[in-house]
Amino acid sequence: MTVELIVVSVPIGVALAILLGVARVYGNKPISLVATTVVGTFRGLPAIVTLFIIFFALPDLGIYFSSYWSAVIGFVLVTGAYQSEYVRGSIQSVESGQSLAAQSLGMSRSQEILHIILPQAIRAALPGISNEVIYLVLYSSLASYIGVQEMFGVARTFNSLEFRPIEIFLTAGLLYAALATVCFVGFRMIERRLRIPGLEIAK
Amino acid sequence: MTSSEIVLKVEDVEKGYSDKKVLNGVSFEIDKGQIKVICGSSGSGKSTLLRCLNLLTRPDKGRIWLEGEEITKGLDNVNRVRQKIGFVFQEFNLFNHLTALRNVSIALQVVKKMSKDEAKALAMKELERVNLENEAHKYPAQLSGGQKQRVAIARALAMNPVIMFYDEPTSALDPQLIGEVLDVMKKLAKEKLTSLVVTHEIGFARSVADEILFMGDGKILERGPPNQIIENPAHEDVRQFFRRINELYRREQR
Repeated sequence: MTVELIVVSVPIGVALAILLGVARVYGNKPISLVATTVVGTFRGLPAIVTLFIIFFALPDLGIYFSSYWSAVIGFVLVTGAYQSEYVRGSIQSVESGQSLAAQSLGMSRSQEILHIILPQAIRAALPGISNEVIYLVLYSSLASYIGVQEMFGVARTFNSLEFRPIEIFLTAGLLYAALATVCFVGFRMIERRLRIPGLEIAK
Repeated sequence: MTSSEIVLKVEDVEKGYSDKKVLNGVSFEIDKGQIKVICGSSGSGKSTLLRCLNLLTRPDKGRIWLEGEEITKGLDNVNRVRQKIGFVFQEFNLFNHLTALRNVSIALQVVKKMSKDEAKALAMKELERVNLENEAHKYPAQLSGGQKQRVAIARALAMNPVIMFYDEPTSALDPQLIGEVLDVMKKLAKEKLTSLVVTHEIGFARSVADEILFMGDGKILERGPPNQIIENPAHEDVRQFFRRINELYRREQR
């Protein structure tokens, strides 16, 4: 269940991050204000509080999400908010000359963003994004508190039945570490694949 | 007489930033097939002028016509106009994440909506025009400055512009690489590609320009054929500028 949570939340979270990042850099006043508010809110709340609000508080307003979907929505918002800062920073780090060149060829703003700015910005944001994804793998354990059957929750349940905390929690820890390692390696492969030739520092 | 078809007409363009006025009323025109060079000291407004003409920056006042169409007022689509102007930057501004070939072909696909194969073929042709067909699959970071600038020229040419703007195209290059870029520009000038060049390369201006526009204090101080402006200018500032350049050259030759 942990793996399922992560595999679903990460891509949607990254997509949200790009949307928010672009909105804050290129959006007009209202759009960028909305984006900034969203980012500020979910960076300002502890992830567990966000999860609890979605799962326990929203029903009072008549909005019901299952444990699983509450977790996905919560994680997407939190990771999207944090990652959007990396995206925003990396967009701003692309030299203005790239924009000028794109415009001088007659590209519209959206063509410029899609074809020229984002491909370069995302490459620059990858280290930060990989960081956030690994955090997500680890704080996915919070989902157990709203009823999702993920690794940490299962470990706690197991422990209350068997009372072997050392073995149980160490195993859980190792499993998380294994997942995190898969992510490390995965991102390294992605970075290598996307690297722009010629920019390596000469050895 | 050859027909004089005005490609670019500029009238009283002014541009200021919060602290100073950079362009103080610039007017001139360029006919089809003409090569005009803008010279002047740093800060005279040369680069700002080019960026206003391409609408990368909006002039505060003044009017600009491209092929008879006024582009400063009520323009529906600035991108359509920008496609007609080829712009070559001092800092090259090649797209770092794309190969040389892709740099040239991307606007053809994205803006001109050509098919992938059509765009690729046309891009290769333009790279051949600047003698870079062998570097088509290299990335900008793997190219020398002169090669980068020639790719930039090919990229601008591929859009089939009616006029080319060069903003100090060789100022960021090592001396030994300047020649290869100037050779390409001279070749294009011989093909009568209408061009407006901001440059310090007096030799280039002398051999290729139909007219030199000398700028100072945001205005055109003097204009005329290269030999007149360089050898025998009327305006004192112009005379001083070229005297200083001649001194520099003489000092180096010793």
